[in-house]
Amino acid sequence: MTRWAIVADLNRCVGCQTCTSACKHANATGPGVQWRKVLDFEAGEFPDVTRAFLPVGCMHCDEPPCLDVCPSTATGKRDDGIVTIDYDLCIGCAYCAVACPYQARTRVDSPNAAYGGKPMRHEAVREQWDRHGVSQKCTFCIDRIDEGRAKGLIPGVDHEATPACVNSCIAGALHFGDTDDTDSEVSRLLAQNKHFRMHEDLGTGPGIHYLWEPGAEDAAAVETAPMVADPVGLAAVSPKLQTNWDWRAAANFIAGGTGTGLFAAAALAGIFAEPLLIAALVAMALVATGLFCVWLEIGRPFRFINVYFHSRRSWMTREAFAALPFFALGAASLFIASPVVWIAAAVCGLVFLYCQGRILRAAKGIPAWREPGIVAVIVSTGLCEGMGLFAVLAVISGIDLALSQTVTPLLLALLGWRYFTWRQYREALGRRGAPTSTFKALESGFINLSPPVQLITAAFVALSLVVPMLLVIGGLLAVLTGWGFKYTLITRAAFTQGYEISRMPARGAGKSAPGIKPGWMVR
Amino acid sequence: MDKPDKSTTDQVSTYCYQCVAGPDLLQVDIEDGVATQVRPNFSAAEIHPAGGRVCVKAYGLIQKTYNPNRILTPMKRTNPKKGRDQDPGFVAITWDEALDAIAQKLNKARADGLNDKSGFPRVAASFGGGGTPTSYMGTFPAFLAAWGPVDMSFGSGQGVKCYHSEHLYGELWHRAFIVSPDTPLAELIISFGTNTEASSGVCGIKRHADARGRGVKRIQIEPHLSVTGACSAEWVPIRPKTDAAFLFAMINVVLHEADRSRLDIPFLKERTSSPYLIAPNGFYLREKTSGKPLIWDLKAGKAVPFDTVDADPALEGEFKVSGSETGADDVTWDHKKIDCRPAFSHLVEHVRGFTAEWAAKVCDVSADTVRSVANQYLDHAHIGETIDIEGMTLPFRPVAISLGKTVNNGWGGYECCWGRTLLACLVGALEVPGGTLGTTVRLNRPAGDRWKSVKKGPDGFMDYPMNPTAKGEWISKPTTRHAHRTLVPLAANSPWSQALGPTHLAWMQQQQGFEKLPEPTAPDVWFVYRTNPAISFWDTKAVTGVMAKFPFTVCFAYTHDETNHTADILLPECTDLEGLQLIRIGGSKYIEQFWDHQGFALRDPASKPRGETRDFTWISTELARRTDLLEKYNAAINRGAAGVGLKGKNFDFSLDEGSAHGVEDIWNAICRAASAEVSDGAESQGLDYFRKHGFRVRKYSRQRWYLYPEMVAQGLRFELPYQERLYRIGQELGARLHEHGITWWDRQLKEYETMPNWQDLPGLWERALSERFKVDIDDYPFWLLTARSMQYSWGGNAGLQMIHEVASNIAGHGGIIMNPAAAGRLGLSEGDKVEVSSPSGKTRGAVVLRHGIRPDTLLMIGQFGHWATPFAKDLDVPNMNELTPMMLELTDATGSGADVVKVAVKRIGAVT
Repeated sequence: MTRWAIVADLNRCVGCQTCTSACKHANATGPGVQWRKVLDFEAGEFPDVTRAFLPVGCMHCDEPPCLDVCPSTATGKRDDGIVTIDYDLCIGCAYCAVACPYQARTRVDSPNAAYGGKPMRHEAVREQWDRHGVSQKCTFCIDRIDEGRAKGLIPGVDHEATPACVNSCIAGALHFGDTDDTDSEVSRLLAQNKHFRMHEDLGTGPGIHYLWEPGAEDAAAVETAPMVADPVGLAAVSPKLQTNWDWRAAANFIAGGTGTGLFAAAALAGIFAEPLLIAALVAMALVATGLFCVWLEIGRPFRFINVYFHSRRSWMTREAFAALPFFALGAASLFIASPVVWIAAAVCGLVFLYCQGRILRAAKGIPAWREPGIVAVIVSTGLCEGMGLFAVLAVISGIDLALSQTVTPLLLALLGWRYFTWRQYREALGRRGAPTSTFKALESGFINLSPPVQLITAAFVALSLVVPMLLVIGGLLAVLTGWGFKYTLITRAAFTQGYEISRMPARGAGKSAPGIKPGWMVR
Repeated sequence: MDKPDKSTTDQVSTYCYQCVAGPDLLQVDIEDGVATQVRPNFSAAEIHPAGGRVCVKAYGLIQKTYNPNRILTPMKRTNPKKGRDQDPGFVAITWDEALDAIAQKLNKARADGLNDKSGFPRVAASFGGGGTPTSYMGTFPAFLAAWGPVDMSFGSGQGVKCYHSEHLYGELWHRAFIVSPDTPLAELIISFGTNTEASSGVCGIKRHADARGRGVKRIQIEPHLSVTGACSAEWVPIRPKTDAAFLFAMINVVLHEADRSRLDIPFLKERTSSPYLIAPNGFYLREKTSGKPLIWDLKAGKAVPFDTVDADPALEGEFKVSGSETGADDVTWDHKKIDCRPAFSHLVEHVRGFTAEWAAKVCDVSADTVRSVANQYLDHAHIGETIDIEGMTLPFRPVAISLGKTVNNGWGGYECCWGRTLLACLVGALEVPGGTLGTTVRLNRPAGDRWKSVKKGPDGFMDYPMNPTAKGEWISKPTTRHAHRTLVPLAANSPWSQALGPTHLAWMQQQQGFEKLPEPTAPDVWFVYRTNPAISFWDTKAVTGVMAKFPFTVCFAYTHDETNHTADILLPECTDLEGLQLIRIGGSKYIEQFWDHQGFALRDPASKPRGETRDFTWISTELARRTDLLEKYNAAINRGAAGVGLKGKNFDFSLDEGSAHGVEDIWNAICRAASAEVSDGAESQGLDYFRKHGFRVRKYSRQRWYLYPEMVAQGLRFELPYQERLYRIGQELGARLHEHGITWWDRQLKEYETMPNWQDLPGLWERALSERFKVDIDDYPFWLLTARSMQYSWGGNAGLQMIHEVASNIAGHGGIIMNPAAAGRLGLSEGDKVEVSSPSGKTRGAVVLRHGIRPDTLLMIGQFGHWATPFAKDLDVPNMNELTPMMLELTDATGSGADVVKVAVKRIGAVT
């Protein structure tokens, strides 16, 4: 087998950005887009300070999170380890961008024009129209590799078959080759030097290895870089708020969760009473609105069909597939007063809701999302919101009070479960650690799932046993607090993984030093 | 899937010489007639020290070519008023109009006399980038040569942003206009602020990376943790401008704590002035008959001339000897049986007080650190070892000391250069494998060959073309506005000497004049190319004000900028990827450009000229034609003013001097001469050959990296540690100046010492600023420094988006770097907008917090503060130059000053 990889010798790297620039030239990337770049790290406090430079880009992982999440077959992985993007299939949903813990993917929606206005001549000549509105990232200069190999050249040895960044490296820090070939230079370097890979704990198996000190040692022996909650001067390498998914994506989680939860509540109620058609209508309208919002966000909206015709087992694909029977059965339920149809539609809705939870969990690039407990939170809050909204609709529609009295304990139970899942999630996140800014965001504001807010919500719901109309307030609070949480989760707490350096490298005859994971904390 | 790039249609070879660490050889892809991509030139991998790879700045060339902000037609000013606040009102004109307007001014200047009433050239020119513009100005040097006297004293950074003391003292001591470690062989490099990883180009970076790969130890002694500090084994955060104390203490440790066996005694005895006996007045004791300096021969037990064969010179001791002593202006003293000690003994005594503990207090570095660095220096010196260099056995001393810009500029520069070079002498590490080397000469001649520039001078040392100080010979009437030949003997009189003079004096002179020097006059015509002194010089406000008073300024303009804002004519020349030129490469040049080959490389146009831009050679020829200088111009080209003499031993491709030649015809002839030169006349291929191959070289012996073999061959000594010659010259210069009534240069005369003493350099700055601006210097608690940036240095590329984009990945670009503890004391946070003020100016910027900087120091990377250059003017990046005053008090004897000033910081806004 062949496993193409880059070995970066941190003793040699000087942070000159020649590789960054060479990559921009070779791949005609637009202003602000850097498939390859070199980060500037600093660790320690004056006067015991070390500084190091770290080339990053797509890691061409063994287990690429971007591949798992791609809703179409646009992202692929070759047998030689190269992770690819088919620009003609990519729908531009940017799910891969939020799933990548290396912040390696970008989506560009406008033509290259470094100075704004009309593109310069070289920009116009090299405009890559097929890359518009879709995900893009480092390809390891796949064409050079393939065309070079076709000529009998060896990538990493022959310049013509070697990635542009490696060719350009003036310090001789970057090496390319086959790590499955024990005779290759990259294998030799790995055998003779201590090395690490970034975010090794995430299990992605990245294909960029960093040498930090001469001497043979197993990569697993590298200590974890210490977290520094509030680093100075490291904004460029610290976690940043993701910008790929905005309110439109949040709307899908908000409306989708409430809609499917509402339909489930309505179906449940329909077993015991006259079906509340308005609830089904509102539920489907909500889910449809959520999906419309997210459709507005994708870069190539009319390619959404690829999710169905070039599908992969991404949770986003599954969500899309679950939506079809949900809408079909949901629509049928308006005309067929059969609890079976209602329940079937509700089950599809719950699958949809579960998929939403799994979508976030699969987004490995966002620590606040990938925490396993997020699935239960998304499901519980969806159901809570649905039941809360159902309660509101029920009261407004003048439904039998006995039903309302049934809804109240159910809603209380769901609120309790939601609080439990949220606490589990939050505690696990705190134990494992997350970006400092994520914690700050989760703890800010009033409309969220924090204990006081939930207590107030539950109190209104409980008091509705005495004053039924308070169920409207309690139900609305159940809905709004869930929405508030999800809006925060998607748009304000969604800080990226950021970068870390496991060890500051030994320079020449110097010694290595502890690395740094900036902007992270346990809480 | 990624689609193969099938549209590449052509590739040309060219070079990038935007910075002094070049040239880099590169290839450019051309698609549909458009230059699209820069690549390394791997066909040069075998001959180029960095394997044909290219610096990050070169990747900006594509954008530089197609930048929409370029000036694409000649333009003329319509607003007669000049100044930053004036809109120049540039309007497009034809080339004929532009060239005729310039020719008219030039012809009038010639008619009025080449020099004005004050004796200054009527034509002035300023070029930036440490001489690199010549690699882009085609045959313009031939036009200037044809013209006659040109004043190049209006500096754009020379003496301020260069390695000034090193240039002058380096050339004096070891033909080292530029000093470099012999990185390929060094084991220990002690760097006082040398920003190698930002400013040594691809060759330097590759060599230092290779050195780190084999375990070199580099100790970076610098107030902030630069990219070079980051790449070093150890960082020592020294107090700004105290490097000389650290070096003096190292010498103290070596001479007072280490055993003499740790020194290279034979080197000291045979290759330095260490054994020369010093007479009572501070000059050498000389043999009365021959005038030769005397040494004490331990074998014979008597004083003998320094060049006595088989003598065993004493380095230490006191001896009763007789002889004569010659001081300034040939004053002589006869001495009979007086007690004399060798220079080495004087040195030992001289540094006795400079202990590690003393330096610790001055430098704010522990004595253990000072001692450790000195001892490591000795540990790695390999005293007594030799190495084979291409069949020649040479001493192997793999220890080197390098000095950064602010360390060897201005006051203290001399001390540091002396300390560094002396330390090399003490262990025999000067100009030998592994040690401290010079890489090029600019003041001595021939400039292209360091060995040939070694000429026997007085007293067993190399000759040096000092500007005269003897009575009757001293140049009392300056030939340039900064009076370099009058004030700075070491500046010599080569084509480079003007740039090595006190260039800020030219700007200051325009403002205030200097007592007893000719009346300041503005040049009738001022040419400007590839430089922007309104940004890159000190006190940019004052400089901008001065240039606004020049009557006729011609700028070869890329985009609108802060200097050409005051121009009368803008000429758009074919820029880097559009023009045609052949340059010399290899051999031993700037920084770490010492190669195993030497020859020529072509700048082959990769793009058709945009708009009405014209090749610089065409412009030069047209100017020559319109000023009736065609014959002289062609003759200058034939002599080699464009880089290669067209007539040699076995060849003659001389141009007909009577006619105007086309650009390609001129360069074809030059290419043919280059082919002939590089092949000793065997080949004569022209432009087509170079277009096909890009370059042509021949072997350059590695032995020539080292001056030592030539010194041995000629039986010469390095003029260290004792500066008898400078001491005499200083006294003579003082006498001449005083005779002429000039006393304002007295402070500078104090630098002419036999061996430098420590002066409180931080205090010198504080006192000078305090007295000049009548401020309490305690109100300015921070030292402000600057540092080079790999992405920007010398590039003139602040207006390029891509460079800005990639440079932003490196911390500190665009802000004011500050220690978090210091910021905390002022209540400042990351990103806060602050006003930084020196006693002479103010600037604004955002705080960038980094632990890798001393709490008493601030740092502003690069030179920005643009207000006219498109794109750059919107960056809102501070520039230290706005805060640095031009002051005679802060000008050293070589005419340089340092990029250091005291400042205060005030918060003016929160993070935006």
